[in-house]
Amino acid sequence: MLTAGPRIHPRLRRRELGLLAIAALGLTVGSVSLALTRLAGADDPLAPDAGLPLADPTALAIYLGALFAAHGLLVLTGRRTDEVLLPTVGLLGGISLLLMERLPQDLAGGLGLGTTQLVWLVLSIAVITVIAAFIRSDAWLRLYKYTWAAFGVGLLLLTFVLGREVNGQRLTLAIGPLSGQPSELLKVILVIFLAGYLSENRALLVEESTRVGPIRLPPLPYLAPMVAMWAIALSIVVVQRDLGAALLFFAVFLLLLYVTTGRASFVALGLLAFVAGGAGLYQAVEHVQTRVDIWLDPFATASGAGYQVVQALHAFARGGILGTGLGAGLPEVGGLPPGGIPALHTDFPFAALGEELGLIGVMAILGLYLVVIERGLRIAASAADDFRAILAAGLSLVIGVQAFIIAAGNLKLIPLTGITLPFISYGGSSLLTNGLVVGLLIALSDRGAQPPPPPTARRGLRRILDRGAP
Amino acid sequence: MGETLGRIGLAMAVAFGAIAAGAGYWQVWRSAELSSAPDDAAVVAASRRVVRGEITDREGERLAWSVEDANGEPYRVYLSRSISGVVGYASRTYGSAGLERAFDAELSGVTSADPVQDLLKKFRADPSDPQAMRTTLLASLQQAAVKALGDDSGAVIMLDPRTGEVLVLASTPIYDASAIANPATSSATFAALAADDVGRPLLPRATQGRYVPGSVFKIVTAIAALGSGAVSGSTTFAEQPAAEEDGLLVTGFRVRDGHHPKTGSEALDFIEATEVSCNIWYALAGLETGGDRLVDWAGQLGFGEPLPFDLPTAISQVTGGDGPAPGGFLDDVELANAAFGQAETFVTPLQMALVTAAVANDGVIMRPRLVQAFSGKAGTTTISSEEWRRVLPARIADQITAAMVEAVNGDLGVGYTTGAQVPGLTVAGKSGTAELGGEGEPNSWFIGFAPAEDPEIVITVVVEHGGRGAARAAPVAGSLLAAWKAWAGR
Repeated sequence: MLTAGPRIHPRLRRRELGLLAIAALGLTVGSVSLALTRLAGADDPLAPDAGLPLADPTALAIYLGALFAAHGLLVLTGRRTDEVLLPTVGLLGGISLLLMERLPQDLAGGLGLGTTQLVWLVLSIAVITVIAAFIRSDAWLRLYKYTWAAFGVGLLLLTFVLGREVNGQRLTLAIGPLSGQPSELLKVILVIFLAGYLSENRALLVEESTRVGPIRLPPLPYLAPMVAMWAIALSIVVVQRDLGAALLFFAVFLLLLYVTTGRASFVALGLLAFVAGGAGLYQAVEHVQTRVDIWLDPFATASGAGYQVVQALHAFARGGILGTGLGAGLPEVGGLPPGGIPALHTDFPFAALGEELGLIGVMAILGLYLVVIERGLRIAASAADDFRAILAAGLSLVIGVQAFIIAAGNLKLIPLTGITLPFISYGGSSLLTNGLVVGLLIALSDRGAQPPPPPTARRGLRRILDRGAP
Repeated sequence: MGETLGRIGLAMAVAFGAIAAGAGYWQVWRSAELSSAPDDAAVVAASRRVVRGEITDREGERLAWSVEDANGEPYRVYLSRSISGVVGYASRTYGSAGLERAFDAELSGVTSADPVQDLLKKFRADPSDPQAMRTTLLASLQQAAVKALGDDSGAVIMLDPRTGEVLVLASTPIYDASAIANPATSSATFAALAADDVGRPLLPRATQGRYVPGSVFKIVTAIAALGSGAVSGSTTFAEQPAAEEDGLLVTGFRVRDGHHPKTGSEALDFIEATEVSCNIWYALAGLETGGDRLVDWAGQLGFGEPLPFDLPTAISQVTGGDGPAPGGFLDDVELANAAFGQAETFVTPLQMALVTAAVANDGVIMRPRLVQAFSGKAGTTTISSEEWRRVLPARIADQITAAMVEAVNGDLGVGYTTGAQVPGLTVAGKSGTAELGGEGEPNSWFIGFAPAEDPEIVITVVVEHGGRGAARAAPVAGSLLAAWKAWAGR
C-alpha cells in the first residue's frame, strides 16, 4: 500500500540527526583505531593479522552515506515517527561492518566478507527506509493473517523438502540463483500471524477459561493454535535441527501470549510444555544431546566437540574489561591452528567483539539492543489498537530475544544455537529480515499528525478496519 | 496492555543484565586464568614469535635462554639435561612441558604476575613484555641429585619447609630438552622420546609418578593416629610381639611381618615401632584410628586432590575408595595393610615431601613453589611464601620428629636408615621398601629432613626397583643432605 499522499510536508528530525552524528563519530573513531592497529602490525610478518589489507575508509563512507540518505528521505516524507531506532540499528550495523572488514576476507566468496556485508547492510537500510517512509496502512498485514500463516508454513515445508543441508542443519533454501534462510523471514510472518490472531481473540482468551481441577487452562478451542505452535517448534528442531529458531519462535509466542492476556498461568503452562518437549528431544535427538552436553562442560572436550565454545570463552577472557582494541584480537579462522573459532562471522561475532571491545563494548552492544526493545515496547504501548500493539511488541521482541539467545549461547549461559546476532552477524537473509522488522516498527510508530488519508478512495477497507478495531 | 508490556520490558532488561553478568564472569573473574592458560590462542601465538624470558636458578645461573636460528626465529637452549623433569621444554612444533608450559603466558609476555600491569599494558605501543623468571631451584644440587640416581628411574625432591621453596625437583631418566627445542633436531628427538615406553623419560615422576609408598606411608598413619588421639606415644599392643612370628589375624586373614632383630618379645611403643618400622604395630594403630579418620587426615595432607603446585600433579590415594568399609576401604584387612603403605595406596613423591614438610615445620604446610620472582620491563614481581594448611599441633609434630630421628640415628634402627646420616647434621627420616608384587626389586624410598632441631630442608627420594630403602634411597639422601649442608654453610 504505497501512498504518496497529496499533503506531504518535510519535517526536521533533529533527534535522529543528532544521534546519527554521534553514531557516525563513534564508527569513524573505530575505523581509525582499526587502521592504526593494522599499520602498527604491518611491519611484523608474524603479527596475527599479517596479510590482511588495511581497512578501506570508503566502505564506512558509503555506509554512513546510506544512513544519512535514509535520514534525508524520512525528513522529506515528513511523518512523525520514531527517531531513535534508525541511529541505534545504524550503529549496530556499523560495528558489524568494522568487524567484517577486520576478519579474513576469504570467509565469503566473491566480493569478500567486508564488501558483501556492506552491500547487504545498504540494502537493509533501504528496506528500513522504504517501509518506514511509505507504509501507512497495516490492513495488508491485518486482513490476510491466515494467508501469511499459510505462506509461512509453506515456506517451512519447502525447506523441509528442498532445503540444502549445511553443517548437519537443513536451513538453507535455494531456488535458482536465489538462496536464503527462510526461518529468518518466518519469524516476521509468525509475529504478524500472532498479532492478528491474538488481537482478534483477546477478549475470549482473557475472560474465559477451562477448568481442569485447580488449573485454569485457556478456553480449549483456542488452545489449538498454541499446540500447533508448539508442534511447529518441535518439528523445526527435529527436521531442521535448528534449535535457535525453535527457541526463538516459542519464546516470542509465549511473551506475546502474556502481553495479550496478562495471565502468567499460560506462560507457566507453555514453559512446562517447553521443558517436557526439551527433555523428550534430549533423549530422542542426538543433535540436541550433543549441544546440551557441550553446554554443561565444554572444557571436557576442549579440542573436540567443545572447541568452538571453549575458544569463544578464551576470546572473551582475552578481551578483559577494556578489550584488545579493534584488529588486535585473535579471531582468525583460517590462520593459526589454535584459536580460530569456526563460523565466527555468523555464530560468534559477539565473542569476537567481546575480545576486541572488552566488557565495556559488550555492555554497550547489549545496551543498544535494549534500546531497540524499549523503543519497540513504547511504540506498542502507545499504539492505536491491539493489533498494532501486539505487532510492535512482537517485532521488537523478535530482535531482542534473538540477540539474547545467541549472546547467551556465546557466553555459555544457555546451550549454543546457531542463530544470527541481529544487525551484526554476517548474512543477507538476516540483515534484510531485520531491516524489514525495524522498518515496520518505525512505520507503526507514526503518531498520525497528518490527517488520515481521504476516505473516498478506500471506503471498503476502512469499513472492515473499523469493524476489527475495539 | 501497558502493564504487561512494562513487565515484559523489565524481564528483557533483567535477561540482558544476566548476559552482562555472564560477560563479566568470563571477562573479569575468569579472565586472567583463561587468557594465560597454555591452550589460549594468544599464548600459543605469542610463544611462536616472542623471545621468551630467561629462566634462572635461585643464584642467577641460567637454566633456559633463547638463541636465533638461521631464519632469525628464536628457539630455546637449556643448561643441562638434569633440569629436564622440572623446566621441561618449549618447542615451536611439539608444544611445551614443565615450567615452560605452566608459565608460558608470563615467559612469552602475554601476561605478567601483576593484573594492574596487564590492564595498563593495553595502552602501550608494544604490549608484549616477556618476563624473566627466577626459580627457587639450585642447579648444582639438582645436578647432584640426578647424578646420585644414576641409571635408575626415580625422583628426588628437596624443599625448604619454612617457605615452600623447592630447591630440587629431579626426575630420571632425563632427556635433552635443547634437542626438542632446536628446530633442526626436534622431530627425531621427540619421536624417540615418545616411543620409549619402558623408561618413559617424558613423565615428570616427582609430580606425576604414582608409587606404592611402603613404610614411608607410616608417617601418614602416625599423623592420623596421634593427631586424632587414637593412639599416644606410649601406646603398645600386647599381641604385637607374637604376631611378628605368626602373623596378625585380622578378620580371618593373616597380616604377616618379619621379626625385628634386637626387640625380643617386647611390646613396642610408637618411637620403637617407628625405629624398627614395625608393620604389626602400624597395622594395629591404623585399625585403632579407623578408615574414616585415616582418609580424612590424609586428605588434610593433600591426598585425594591435585596439590597446590606450579606444575600439574597426579592425585595420591590411601585406598581405591569404592569399598563398603568406613573411608572407602574394602575391609579391615585392606586398612591394616594400607596403614603401612602396602594396599591400594599410591603416592606421588611431591605428596610425600609435603607429608614430611608438615612434620618438619611444626604441623604447618607451606604452599610448595618453584618461582621466586618475575621481572620484565614493568619491574619485578616477587612471589611470596604462603601457608597452605595447618595440619598438626606442633607437640605431635615434635613427637613424630623424635621417632624419625631415632629411625636414622637410634640403635634399633641400625641397618634400616643409617645411610642417611650426615656428620655434623641431625637427620630425621624414614625409609621405605615398597613391595610391588610379582618379581622385580621393590621400590626404594626415603623421606626426611634436617637439621632435626630446627628443620631447614626436607628431602624425598624414590628409586624404582632400587631394592630396600636402606640399600639405595637412604644413602642417596645422605649424600644430597651433605651437599646441601656444604652449600648452606651448616
